[in-house]
Amino acid sequence: MTLAIGAALAVFTGIGAGIGIGIATGKAAESIARQPEAADKIRGTFILGAALAEATAIYGFITALAIIILK
Amino acid sequence: MFSYKSLSEAAAKVYDESRRKGGGILDKLKEVLAESMAGTPAVSVFGLFSVPQSVVVTWILMALLTGASLILTRGMQRIPNGRQTLLELGVGTFNHFCEENLGRHWRVFAPWLFTVAVYIAAANLSGLIGLAPPTRDLAVTAALALMSMLLIYGAQFRFRGLGGGLKKFAQPMPVLLPINLMEVFIRPLSLCMRLFGNVLAAYVIMEMIKTLAPAVVPVAFSLYFDIFDGLIQTLVFVFLTALFLGESIEEEE
Repeated sequence: MTLAIGAALAVFTGIGAGIGIGIATGKAAESIARQPEAADKIRGTFILGAALAEATAIYGFITALAIIILK
Repeated sequence: MFSYKSLSEAAAKVYDESRRKGGGILDKLKEVLAESMAGTPAVSVFGLFSVPQSVVVTWILMALLTGASLILTRGMQRIPNGRQTLLELGVGTFNHFCEENLGRHWRVFAPWLFTVAVYIAAANLSGLIGLAPPTRDLAVTAALALMSMLLIYGAQFRFRGLGGGLKKFAQPMPVLLPINLMEVFIRPLSLCMRLFGNVLAAYVIMEMIKTLAPAVVPVAFSLYFDIFDGLIQTLVFVFLTALFLGESIEEEE
């Protein structure tokens, strides 16, 4: 039971990643709307930022898996 | 002590247990999780020796990709026909991407990056034809990430010389030295975990959906989790490698 709670807490990292990627996407859309000619550069930066933000969620997921499996 | 070996051993034990018990959805899910964490099961080749499943799937992918390259590049002409035009467009686009991210020395690295991109894309999409994606095995993504790390820091010393390569660790400020040294290990770790975690998460979610709703419903989800996510992760892996590489070989003003 406590293990399950621990795993659930680990998966809460997803909240941060969700907010981070949301902000990144919003800003990217905004800047492309403002400067459509810079779309390629913005897309590259956006993918990099989204990948880094998403990594935290993945770490949480893997930690949760390890908690459940290793017990 | 947490290590990959203890993790995979524990996972193998859980896998055996849940296989024996069988039954409900939760047991089935636990089986899927444990199987993924234990590394893919061993397959025996002609009864002679046993290799991990991911290696066998990689052999199949290698055969398919090699065959495809041989067929696609047959009878190349100076004035390209339809198939060759498409091929040249693809390679040209990728070369342009490398040139943009790596600067002047892109030509040396483009073939390696393209090979990794094609392999990861094929591995992520192999779930569609009923194979188990090799990138679901932590060992495979760890190997890919280690190769990226060797390439990045090898290039740093190759292009800057021993002194210049060491000096790069103290740039842009000497205060950042410990962080730059930590990055040597964090970069491959995050490359490896990102790819593995994404593919594993997609696989686990797909298995859950298939257990709950075996017909029609998985198709829509498969489009997102197998195709879109697989290709995005390929892009992210290659893009990050190219970015780090470009940073380590960039010339001083």
